[in-house]
Amino acid sequence: MADSKTKLKQLTFKALKATIKGILFYSAYLILWMLFLASLSGLIPNLQQTVETFVVIYIILMIVGEITSGTIFKHFFDAAKALFVICYLILSLKGGIFSVGYQNLSLVVDFRPLIAIVTLLSLFGFAKSIFQAINFLNEKAERLQI
Amino acid sequence: MQIPIRIIGITTTFFWIFLIAFFVSAVYSVKDLHFDFGEPQMNVTADNRILFSLPLNITNKGFYSLRSFNLTTQILDAENFVVAKGTTYIPIINKDEAATVTHNVTIDLNALLQHDENFLFNDTELKIYETVGMVIADLIPIQASTNYSMPWGAPLYNFALGQPQYVAANSTHFLVRLPISFENHVFFDVSGNIKIKMYNNANLLLGEAQIFMDVPQQSSYNGFFEFYVSRSGTTDNGYFSVSILTPLFSYENLVVSYGG
Repeated sequence: MADSKTKLKQLTFKALKATIKGILFYSAYLILWMLFLASLSGLIPNLQQTVETFVVIYIILMIVGEITSGTIFKHFFDAAKALFVICYLILSLKGGIFSVGYQNLSLVVDFRPLIAIVTLLSLFGFAKSIFQAINFLNEKAERLQI
Repeated sequence: MQIPIRIIGITTTFFWIFLIAFFVSAVYSVKDLHFDFGEPQMNVTADNRILFSLPLNITNKGFYSLRSFNLTTQILDAENFVVAKGTTYIPIINKDEAATVTHNVTIDLNALLQHDENFLFNDTELKIYETVGMVIADLIPIQASTNYSMPWGAPLYNFALGQPQYVAANSTHFLVRLPISFENHVFFDVSGNIKIKMYNNANLLLGEAQIFMDVPQQSSYNGFFEFYVSRSGTTDNGYFSVSILTPLFSYENLVVSYGG
């Protein structure tokens, strides 16, 4: 009875933490959007949709990762989050060369140097998740031996 | 293992914050870039080419320097032949600095006429491609391009030689009066000499004449040549060879038949 109460307490705490993290992340996105990106939405079609899809999926992975913390799955979701950032950026920016046209004016922005840095950072995040997973299994094995 | 994981975590978080701040400030900096285009001017160079000049002032009030600014203008005809091309390049404009340059495009009319003599006689359209490129914040290359059409007015539009009128000058020669007319549709005044040579149907030169013309832009020219030809060589038909010599262009291949 006490064990299930503790588990419920833990789960509630995790859910609360995940909710706060999600709200903070979404608030940061909203501030960024209102201050800087909203002015670009008129120029770039589907910008809001693209960014929001990214934010929503990222928050979902973050919340699920938070709820599953204390298990190996948290590290899987963290790794998935890092890979999702890389894939989504490459796909949404069409390999890094972003082009937009309006009447007979076309604008091409080369995001490849920026994507390279983002990919590198995400790979660091991915590596961190792998290390954490190994560490988690390692600690679990040690606990079982004891 | 906890310590390396934490180091990776702290380092990546720091770089993420730095990267987001950098990207946001770079985008925000674009708002503080000002491009002021001056009044375009047209001049004739020392080597008799048409020079288009566009003064350009760039003010960089952003957070980062602007690198590799280049403005390219390409003028093409209907067959995508490059009539003229001009590029202006500024290696760097530091923050809180301004740069003033003149973007020049030179048109060599003789080269243009060598490619297609229709430019001399027929109005047409020229395609203009403008490309502006730069690297903002030392990291993000941007290129904007546009294209539009510009009408080309022919300097000798509707060029025509009338039928030669023969007036008996004496027992051996005729005085030939030959009307000439055209419209100057081009954006500059056409002044120079027109020379004609009259040949009979046996390719024998009968006579020649030269007149000076000074035709302002968007106006018509109506004149006539007067010259003497030998009665004996005159035939019912033949041809005129026309040469046009102006400081901006010269053309010597025009053959106009007369008679039957």
